[in-house]
Amino acid sequence: MGKLFGRQQLFLGVFLVPGVAYVLVWRLLPALYTVYLSFMSYNLAFDPGPTWVGIRNYLQLVRDDNLLASLGVTLKFSVLATFVELVLGLGTAILLDRDLPLRNLIMGLCLVPMVLAPVAVATIWYVLLHDFVGPIPHLIRLIHGPEIAWFTTSWTALLSIIVADVWEWTPLMTLLLLAALQGVSRETVEAAMVDGASGLQVFRFVTLPQITGMIAVAVGLRFMDAFLELDKVLIMTGGGPGTSTELVSVHIYRTAFQFFTLGYAATIVIAFLVLLAVIYRFYLRALPGYAFSASERMSGAGG
Amino acid sequence: MRVSRHSSDGLGQKSLAPPAQTPKGWVSSAFRILRRRSASIGIAVGLTMFLSWTVLPIVYLGVLSVKPERLLLDRPSLNFRPSLERYGQLLQWDKLGAPVKNSLISASLGTAGAVLLGSMAAIAFTLLDFRAKGPLFFTIVLTRMYPPMTTVIPVYLMLRRLELLDTLTALVIVFAALQIPLVLWVMHTALNAIPRDIIESAVLDGASLPVVVRKVLLPLSGPGLVTAAILSFIFCWNDFLLPLVITSSAARTGTVAIMAYTETYRNVLWGPLSTVSIAMVAPTIVFMLALRTYLVKGLTAGMLKG
Repeated sequence: MGKLFGRQQLFLGVFLVPGVAYVLVWRLLPALYTVYLSFMSYNLAFDPGPTWVGIRNYLQLVRDDNLLASLGVTLKFSVLATFVELVLGLGTAILLDRDLPLRNLIMGLCLVPMVLAPVAVATIWYVLLHDFVGPIPHLIRLIHGPEIAWFTTSWTALLSIIVADVWEWTPLMTLLLLAALQGVSRETVEAAMVDGASGLQVFRFVTLPQITGMIAVAVGLRFMDAFLELDKVLIMTGGGPGTSTELVSVHIYRTAFQFFTLGYAATIVIAFLVLLAVIYRFYLRALPGYAFSASERMSGAGG
Repeated sequence: MRVSRHSSDGLGQKSLAPPAQTPKGWVSSAFRILRRRSASIGIAVGLTMFLSWTVLPIVYLGVLSVKPERLLLDRPSLNFRPSLERYGQLLQWDKLGAPVKNSLISASLGTAGAVLLGSMAAIAFTLLDFRAKGPLFFTIVLTRMYPPMTTVIPVYLMLRRLELLDTLTALVIVFAALQIPLVLWVMHTALNAIPRDIIESAVLDGASLPVVVRKVLLPLSGPGLVTAAILSFIFCWNDFLLPLVITSSAARTGTVAIMAYTETYRNVLWGPLSTVSIAMVAPTIVFMLALRTYLVKGLTAGMLKG
């Protein structure tokens, strides 16, 4: 479109510059400074300022056993949480994909967990599982089940965080997959039924191929997000027992704000983001073409 | 599948005896009704389970928050007189209310800033012409795609230099910076949906940009503004990492206070923990139930990018 308005320069200065400059100063430049800092040694507690160390921080990464361990835990957490969320999300989406009384209210309630503060979600499950006040250990005791100290053994601590994550994010899966299910063409389903396919066969051979794209998008979305999980760990386990639930984000937070080694923390941030970008890249490439159209549809619908 | 059998039975009726009169047809239709009923029972059971799984945990937190102090550690019994004592303290800004008040002020002002600056930028991106428009838009939106973790160290150092650590000002600054791209995205879409003709005819009538903004854009982009504002408020209100790093006591938000209450496993402050948590989830639950259609699209878009 041609120039609609006069005094372009003035209006650009008034409308565009403040917002853009603000984001550049508080979001873009800091990100670049993090890259810069990743080549520095800077301990906030001892050093007057950052000093250049080249790629020494990056070399330290591969020898950092704690970091590699936390990467392993993060991977385990993300894969398990995403998988359970996919299964439950698909089930609930199928459940909700029909005419129901009070459908709006039901949908609204189901979606509540994903808008709660992640910290509050963590609190909810901390309370439910804590052996002082929680109903879950109490119920297990009532049926003479095993005495489980949820937050003090490694695998139950990780499990607790996974459960909280599943509770919080299954609704997102439900939402995305329900949108996909409602886009499945009725004619193909009916045609398959007329041909005598069983319910399971219809789902497997007619419905599933039509929602694979959205499943791929939803799984990618959740996996990336789970990889960055921090809030629930800090509330529920603090990374413990030991470092058994110390996800990478928690490791970064500790390196930066408990040990104050800012330079090295910046290095982990950058390496971690590059790793995430690479995973995402390969994931996208592995997807069949129709997944892209699904993702475009989503962002089109959303924006 | 059942439906298809039924229709083929229907076709058969023309040539053969009506199946409803044969014992076999009667059995199969009874079986069909039974199956349909058990299917709807299954759906009801599934829905009830899903809803309980979603709602009961929040309800339990609410129960804990009205339990009298001395009964808090007394087995998870439900046999007590609810006490609203702690909710009273929540209304006193110097007690439990302090962190919630900090969240409220910083999230509101941060949202106001983001909506103002983000919408103005969206107007520029929609209506004005300038060089490198596409790349600039992409750059701004990109800053929302990388996680807050990326910038938390430099932002901490900047705020330390400015001597703003542990102040509400610092929270407002970083909240606005995080949400401007979201507002820009939502408002850009909303403004693009306004028919060009309306704007152009206003311009032909001699309207300048400020007049067009006031008379045409503002009245027509209401839903976009509401979506942008509420989403950005929810993201600020729920934020944890940045407040954790840049505030410590005076300006600490509700989310940071929650973490402080749980810090020691043996001496968790269950009362404040549950009460402040309820205060922190109540607004977002209300938003979700009241404005679901607005939020869902924006949330999924925000997440696909974020």
